[in-house]
Amino acid sequence: MSTLIGVGFSEKKDPFLAASEAAKMALYQIHHRPITVAFLFSTIHFAHQRLLEGIYYALGHIKLLGCTGSSVIWPEAINKYGVGLMLISMDHVTFGQAHSVGIKTKGARQIGEEFARQALKNLSTPQRDLALIFCDGIVENGSDLLKGIKDILGLSFPIFGASAADNFRFHQTYQYFDKELLTDGVAGLIFSGENIFGMGVRHGWKPLGRPHTITGVKGNVIKTIEEKPAVTIYEEYFGKSRKEIEKTLIEMSIYYPLGLYVPGETEYLLRNVLRIDEDGGLVCQGDASVGSEVRLMMGTKEWALNAATQAAQEAKDSLKDKEVKGALVFESISRNKLLGRLTERELSRIKKVLGNVPILGICSYGEQAPLKSLEHYGETYFHNETLAILAIGESHAADKHI
Amino acid sequence: MPPTSTFNTPSSLEILISYMGMFGMIAVIVLVIILVFKMEKIKELKTELAKLKRAFEELDGQAKLIVQTDVELHKAQEELDKKISSLVTLQKLSRLISTTLDEEEIFQKLDEKHITELGFDRAVVFCRDETKGYLLKAAIGYTAEEADRIMKLMTGMPLLMDTVMNKHKVLSTLEMDRAAKETPHLLSMLGLSSFVCAPMMQKEGAVGLLLMGSESPYTHMTEGDKDLVYILATQIGQSIENAKLFEEQWHAQQELENKIQLRTKELSAALEEIKVVSKRKSDFINAVSHELRTPLTSIKGYASILAAGKLGELPAAAKERVEKINKHSDNLSELINGLLDISRIESGRVEMKLEPLDLLNMAQSLADMLAPPMKDKNVEFVVDIPEGLPQVRADKGQLERVFINLIGNAIKFTPPGGKITVAARPVDNAMIQVGVSDTGIGISEHDLKKLGEEFFRVDNDVNAKVKGTGLGLSLVKRIIEAHQGTFSISSQLNHGSTFSFTLPKM
Repeated sequence: MSTLIGVGFSEKKDPFLAASEAAKMALYQIHHRPITVAFLFSTIHFAHQRLLEGIYYALGHIKLLGCTGSSVIWPEAINKYGVGLMLISMDHVTFGQAHSVGIKTKGARQIGEEFARQALKNLSTPQRDLALIFCDGIVENGSDLLKGIKDILGLSFPIFGASAADNFRFHQTYQYFDKELLTDGVAGLIFSGENIFGMGVRHGWKPLGRPHTITGVKGNVIKTIEEKPAVTIYEEYFGKSRKEIEKTLIEMSIYYPLGLYVPGETEYLLRNVLRIDEDGGLVCQGDASVGSEVRLMMGTKEWALNAATQAAQEAKDSLKDKEVKGALVFESISRNKLLGRLTERELSRIKKVLGNVPILGICSYGEQAPLKSLEHYGETYFHNETLAILAIGESHAADKHI
Repeated sequence: MPPTSTFNTPSSLEILISYMGMFGMIAVIVLVIILVFKMEKIKELKTELAKLKRAFEELDGQAKLIVQTDVELHKAQEELDKKISSLVTLQKLSRLISTTLDEEEIFQKLDEKHITELGFDRAVVFCRDETKGYLLKAAIGYTAEEADRIMKLMTGMPLLMDTVMNKHKVLSTLEMDRAAKETPHLLSMLGLSSFVCAPMMQKEGAVGLLLMGSESPYTHMTEGDKDLVYILATQIGQSIENAKLFEEQWHAQQELENKIQLRTKELSAALEEIKVVSKRKSDFINAVSHELRTPLTSIKGYASILAAGKLGELPAAAKERVEKINKHSDNLSELINGLLDISRIESGRVEMKLEPLDLLNMAQSLADMLAPPMKDKNVEFVVDIPEGLPQVRADKGQLERVFINLIGNAIKFTPPGGKITVAARPVDNAMIQVGVSDTGIGISEHDLKKLGEEFFRVDNDVNAKVKGTGLGLSLVKRIIEAHQGTFSISSQLNHGSTFSFTLPKM
């Protein structure tokens, strides 16, 4: 049986009706075939138990995962309001689902470990190929959760995912796990079977000014750069006082994130700054290490759009000779903000490369993906301002059956 | 004792040292030279390094300048992007609102999708109510319980209400005026980080207020946001006004329609009554005419016998009186016949035998018939009917009566040397218009209005001399109407008249 992927979208006011509408649209596209797994993404307006009730009312019992995003990406548009559902019907792939909540109380690393252990347990086969995760985007150190997962699954195990968003409110995000509406946790699965996934990760930001060396780090806080409080880098480049920077830090950091040099990689690893601590340290969404070279990064709309083409091409190329059947797209909310009215051009660029296939995704607070996606053995990192594409290919086994 | 030399021969060591010294010297010299060169190179490199460092610092300085300029560009671009996107949404929303003529529906159009697209997270709408103070019309992004709470608390914001509703100012988290005292409470009450509040303006002032806000602490309100909310609020205000006007107009129209229906009913009843009265009148005329005709026939018969002298010669005076009786009986008989005809046509008792008729033939045969009186008066008779004119559908006998009546009248009122014209032309695809014109004495405008009424006769010299019933034109009008045609008269005093009527084509 070949892989079938359907995507439905709705803007109906009532979450139950919106979910039902999206479900029916997606189900029609997979010709009412049995659903292997479903991915649900919605804007924060729909983060409601009624949304899940609507899905289950329309589709019966299915395996479902997903989260909230600042916008929903689907083949027609990138909408700031709506519900999107992707239904996948395929053979030759098994998976173990899991979730774990309580990051604020137990810590992100422990939650990551709990999730990975549970997912492996539910997988019930020793072979594992890819972990797909949706985690709370309010967590300050997104890297810690990944560390927890890597502690169990190994450093080189590919993990792909997105940090749920709530449209810059930074109040509460939600994760969907079957019929459960979760927050402050992670939901995801580990795939096993034929490898039918291809990943592409790009941002397009370029370094600006001279390189600086990180001289002090505490978790996700860059304390000092060249023995000076880390905020000095922003003070110097922007010619503004710390107080002024504090006021617009989030916006500044979207346009000018910090870039960590990663040997062997063509692009820098980006870090958004969330706030400034009392010592002038920069609290980032991901971690950094002492001795790393850090640069102030700059992005333009054109570079960002070019990066979209490159990410899509990377994802397609990593599928090798497999036909692209659909894709999950996680775009940083920062890119969305940078691109403004041109945001849908990014979608066009992706579609130009992948073709007219079902696409679903969100604008997220962070992205998780391996750096060397082409080789598939690279370590997974937490990214900011990045476009991460997971292309789903047709199974060769399915081809043989035809 | 063996002889000794005063000079000691140099040992091999000394020779080596001396050689080494030479080489050493040379080596030292070479080393010194190399060192000098190296020192020079180092100096050069240091100078290069200093240059590079300076260039590097300069480049970094330029990067800082680029960033600072780029920040402003981003800010302007972001604001512009937001404005354009918001304007597109505003235009969509305005179209939706302005095409709504139900006040409640206007507020329903303001949904979360549009609020999000406008760049806000939540919105509330209050309307002033004469009896209840303020009414919460919409609370987007809030639950029903939250909306109730907002309703109660919002009325406890006198400064805000006064600034927006009475002073018609747009209030936002950008301002720091006296109403700003209430801002922190308002923000916590609505769960917002920033907001813009604008009056919903109508011609007579603010009808309510629209408050739109953002939950995100990182979204900053701009002057553009203030303009946007103000435009939307004004649009809502005007739409409410339009809806009210429409409602008023609709009610007025309903009232008018009711009145028209009532009046139509009354008129229909009156018409029915008139029809009944008219039928009674016709029946009465019919009955009376029949009753009159029988004795009149006897009177006329006896008068004729007496006048003819069949009962013996009458004295001249008696004969003259009998002849007068005879003549008046004829007049009376003609009058009764006319009344009977009108009555029959009105009551539908006369059956129209509709057949195709050629107007040209009819006019020519009538010309022959009426030739003698025209010849007597020296009146020219012209038939202006084109050959090939489509035939009309009419009752031959009745149509002849029409022509005889009209041409007879024309002969009567046209002075010697005058002209009578019978013309016919198609009016449209369905009807043909026929006109009988004369160059007679004409009719005054005043009399023209009454002409055609039963028994009306124009007061002029001709009518004074020639007796008539005053029923001729009335009869003509009834006959034409019975053919589904129309009858009209146009005239100019002393210049002649035209009597026109239409008849259906075959």
